[in-house]
Amino acid sequence: MDEEELVRLVARGDRAAFEELYRRTSPWLAVRLRRRCGDDELVAEVMQDTYLAVWRAAAAFAGAGVGGSAVGWLWTIAARRLVDALRRRARDARPPPTALPVAVAPAAEDEVLQATVGDPVGEALRRLAPELRQVLRAMVLDGLTVRETSVLLGVPEGTVKTRARRARIALREALS
Amino acid sequence: MSRGKGGTGDGTGHVPAELLDRYAAGTADADAGTADVLWAVEVHLESCAACRDRLAGAVARRSPQTSLLLEQVRDGLVAEVTRSPRMPPRRRWLPGTGRLSGWAAWRVTPALLPRLGMTVLVVLVAVGLDLADGADAGRYPSLVLLLAPVAPLAAVAAAWSRGLDPAHELVVASPRAGLDLVLRRTAAVLAVVIPALGAAGWLVGVSPARWLLPCLAFTVGALALGEVVGLHRAASGLALGWAAVVVGPSLVTARPPVLLAAASLPGWAAATAAVAVVVVVRRRAYTELESLR
Repeated sequence: MDEEELVRLVARGDRAAFEELYRRTSPWLAVRLRRRCGDDELVAEVMQDTYLAVWRAAAAFAGAGVGGSAVGWLWTIAARRLVDALRRRARDARPPPTALPVAVAPAAEDEVLQATVGDPVGEALRRLAPELRQVLRAMVLDGLTVRETSVLLGVPEGTVKTRARRARIALREALS
Repeated sequence: MSRGKGGTGDGTGHVPAELLDRYAAGTADADAGTADVLWAVEVHLESCAACRDRLAGAVARRSPQTSLLLEQVRDGLVAEVTRSPRMPPRRRWLPGTGRLSGWAAWRVTPALLPRLGMTVLVVLVAVGLDLADGADAGRYPSLVLLLAPVAPLAAVAAAWSRGLDPAHELVVASPRAGLDLVLRRTAAVLAVVIPALGAAGWLVGVSPARWLLPCLAFTVGALALGEVVGLHRAASGLALGWAAVVVGPSLVTARPPVLLAAASLPGWAAATAAVAVVVVVRRRAYTELESLR
């Protein structure tokens, strides 16, 4: 039984299916959210919101009949909730905590990898400045808008736009 | 392990266990060198249930904070879900109000139901008169046959009329408005009227072959004319015209009308095709103000 089937069962009020969905997807969602937000308390809040939304609105997914991926749907909800939570927190005049990189030495394997010639996109991506890469990740991988990205990263919208443009230019140069 | 592109995202391979471990523990973010690999991992995880399952194992082994967080959220959810209201499933009848909702409301307007009932009653009366007449050696042409071509018009008129549909202005403003919706409602009318006529014809011995095409021609004709003068007027005009030109004279002369003889069927077929073309060509008329009369 796949996740889409589980969501359809949840839409009919099946508690066991909901728990199974949680068991299967929550580790993935937690890891992915924790990479984007350093505050575990906030991540827990976002996850709770997300799964409650799934429980309440599963019928909207099942009824939509879009044939989309249930996991992708889950991530869309979670990403929006994360941005909402950060927005609330910003209103409460606390600086949004961003993920703090853990300082560890790169694995030997990666150093070897780095030395080998990779694909041009990956190479360009690796060479990108971290703040540009963060913007690209939020906008390309997580599908957020400029405004949502600015909330997530805690920088002004204009900065997000500038960084996105610089990242695009850098990637285009690397590919040409 | 192969490079990120070969080892993760292309569907042929899965995420290597060691990378998954570091991803779960959050230590993979530290070095910029793996950025593209991690993107590929995240894209792959979104579509691969097996790797998500392995990630769950890696989380349990490598990241106690995440496991703790998952436990907390789970406990919170159990409590919340128990008392949380859920979005109601789609229902066709709103409980208590007796009103239609969902897809039925798009096809059946409140005015349609009484008009359908009236049509069925008229057909029943025609059957009664025909049977009474038949016992009397059949002096008149069958009333069921005479009425059949215009039978759906009373209900079709209500399909797109400002006066007869209380929700008409809402419906017109909706994205579904237009010929598509008119046709859905007309189909709903025909789905009731044609079986009723079929049963009536069977009772009095009139073959559907004689009235089905004229019936369709009049229905589509009303839709075509309705694009010009409004559906209600078009349907009333056609029904009155039929009564004056065909029903009246055949009852007076006690002869079956030429128009409903088997020889006229090709003519009806041609007429149906012609008006159908008109309906499609002028389909935008139903979303314009002119059609609301």
